[in-house]
Amino acid sequence: MMRVLKINGQEKTFPDGKIPATIADLLQQLRVDAATVVAELDGQIIERANFSNTSLRAGQSIELVRFVPGG
Amino acid sequence: MTMTITAQHIDIKKILADRGLDGCGRDIWTKRLGDITPAEVEWALSRQPGYYVLDRLLILVSPAAENYLEQMAQLSHQLTLQRFGKTVRLYAPLYLSNFCVNDCVYCGFNKSHDFPRIRLTIEQAVAEADVIAKEGFKDLLLVSSEDRSFISVDYLCELAGKLRPKFSSLSVEIYQMNTEEYAKLFASGIEGVTLYQETYDRDTYSKYHPAGPKADYDYRLSAPESMAQAGMREIGIGALLGLDNWRLETLALAEHAHYLMKRYWQSRVSFSFPRLRPAKDVDRSQFNLLSDKNLVQMILALRLCFADAGLTISTREPAHLRDHLVKLGITRMSAGSKTNPGGYSGSTGSVEQFEIDDKRTPAQIAAMLKSQGLEPVWKDWDSAFSETSPIGGPAFTRA
Amino acid sequence: MDELIIANRRFTSRLLIGTGKFSSSKVMAEAVEAAGAQIVTVALRRIDITNQNDDMLAAIDRSKYLLLPNTSGARTADEAVRLSRLARAATGINWVKLEVTPDPYYLLPDPVETLKAAEILVKEGFVVLPYINADPILSKKLQDVGTATVMPLASPIGSNQGLKTRAAIEIIIEQANVPVVVDAGLGLPSHAAEAMEMGADAVLVNTAIATAAEPAKMAHAFKLAVEAGRTAFLSGAAAESKKANASSPLTGFLRNE
Repeated sequence: MMRVLKINGQEKTFPDGKIPATIADLLQQLRVDAATVVAELDGQIIERANFSNTSLRAGQSIELVRFVPGG
Repeated sequence: MTMTITAQHIDIKKILADRGLDGCGRDIWTKRLGDITPAEVEWALSRQPGYYVLDRLLILVSPAAENYLEQMAQLSHQLTLQRFGKTVRLYAPLYLSNFCVNDCVYCGFNKSHDFPRIRLTIEQAVAEADVIAKEGFKDLLLVSSEDRSFISVDYLCELAGKLRPKFSSLSVEIYQMNTEEYAKLFASGIEGVTLYQETYDRDTYSKYHPAGPKADYDYRLSAPESMAQAGMREIGIGALLGLDNWRLETLALAEHAHYLMKRYWQSRVSFSFPRLRPAKDVDRSQFNLLSDKNLVQMILALRLCFADAGLTISTREPAHLRDHLVKLGITRMSAGSKTNPGGYSGSTGSVEQFEIDDKRTPAQIAAMLKSQGLEPVWKDWDSAFSETSPIGGPAFTRA
Repeated sequence: MDELIIANRRFTSRLLIGTGKFSSSKVMAEAVEAAGAQIVTVALRRIDITNQNDDMLAAIDRSKYLLLPNTSGARTADEAVRLSRLARAATGINWVKLEVTPDPYYLLPDPVETLKAAEILVKEGFVVLPYINADPILSKKLQDVGTATVMPLASPIGSNQGLKTRAAIEIIIEQANVPVVVDAGLGLPSHAAEAMEMGADAVLVNTAIATAAEPAKMAHAFKLAVEAGRTAFLSGAAAESKKANASSPLTGFLRNE
């Protein structure tokens, strides 16, 4: 079974049918350091403290944003 | 309409207290004034004029600056020309009542003075206004002593409603009110209020205002801010010159103006220069009367610190002096004034608040201005913008 | 001590630095250090999930500097508000440089959307530093809704043209109840000095430093210029005076007194 998540505006399919259980798992899979990232799930901001206990479902949209250089 | 105040709100009472300008620092300020040197005056005059800084005003009102009046006058004249052009606004005061509940020592209308008191009914006031309008005035100032029971907020609103079609600009000079009351006046078509603190020194204030509602210094001080919060477009402030040290009064007055200008940027602040004049039953010997030179210095100093403030001079001042003052920064003056209620329609015997000195007719004043290359401005607003609609409401939202 | 106070926080440096456009994070960190800055702006962007980039900001010691997120990229009030909330979630700090720039050519700020966003953000408890064109009325309106500063531009971002909006900034400074930070378009240290001499409370510089041949050196130059300008302002420099042309005497009539 295919499971799709929209990440930063792009649909990502998880071929073995298993989307990451939580945001923390997703970040680990993407090899992104959770400490520098802010997440917005279906338009709601998720506090970093809650990454490990916020579960993900197919069809959700997640925005992963971090600080970058800017003026 | 009420204005939102920013979080860092420190009120004028605290500012004056902190700076020692409500009397608690008078010795320090007096000494500082005396210590100003000619070099400092020259420095102050070399700076770009029109910016307010308390320290610079201090220099300009100091005794040392008295030797620099001509230079100050030239700068003031230029600055006023740039900002206001070659114009002077004309207005007329309409006195509504000389009943008063206050006991101000210096005033002809003091409640302890015994003379026949007069109040104008709405109809009588309108009749007076018609006489004034015939002279060409479009800018009317309604004046009254503290006669709240008769000259009430409702009275003023009703009168304003009747006068609105006849005058482009209505303002009042009346007892201190709160924001709600000023808002009612504003809604009725009055767009300006003049109120003098008389003196910013608390001790002097108590001495001259022993009784009545006006005895409350703080409430009086808060009134111009209430006007601004109510949306008043023009706010006139001043000190009664001669009660206390005019130099100190000017500093406090400027702080007050600066405070209002910064927080209520949509209102225009003007200065008036009421100088104590002979009045019936008032003993003049107790006052610190100002010389013409002092008055001129005060006008110039304020203009050099406030490029856009209105500077108003009334008919308290003699004709020859007013003729010179119009070149020194004055932007508005009354003409043909009667300070006794009913005075325009020839009501007999009612007592004046103060003696008029410049007794010229409006036409004569206008001619004087023209002869100096200045244009008398009778109305400042296009009446089409401010006239009430036929049904009675304002033509545009005042919210 | 002549301190810059923004929203009750005190700073000794009046030079704010933007972190964009640097060639590397090392160069950027050196420049920030050389500038003696205490407030450093950053932006928020989506991470690139296909490519694990360097975290350019790892080079910035977060304990030394106040990171000020900007809402660059926002074209509407709603987008700016959303970015601000994300930024707050990232750091726990509620300071934001509000930047709403729908125009991609000059990156000029939208006054209407900025005011709208400012009002919402202030109500949500943010410390808002709004980037605006040098508009005195807009400045007053923003202060009325409660922003912590106003940040008028000297000239468009990256143009390095200096104080093109000088006359308007003078009015803003005269009328301001909050610190005025001149931001954008300052191309040379002398521009920064000029802004401080006029009475600006601080300046924000990015492009001029990031794109200099030696950014750390240029940052140091800006630091000196800001200090020089501020000292000049405090010492009461005599500005050019509009000397009146000699005309007939105006106070001769007083001689009779």
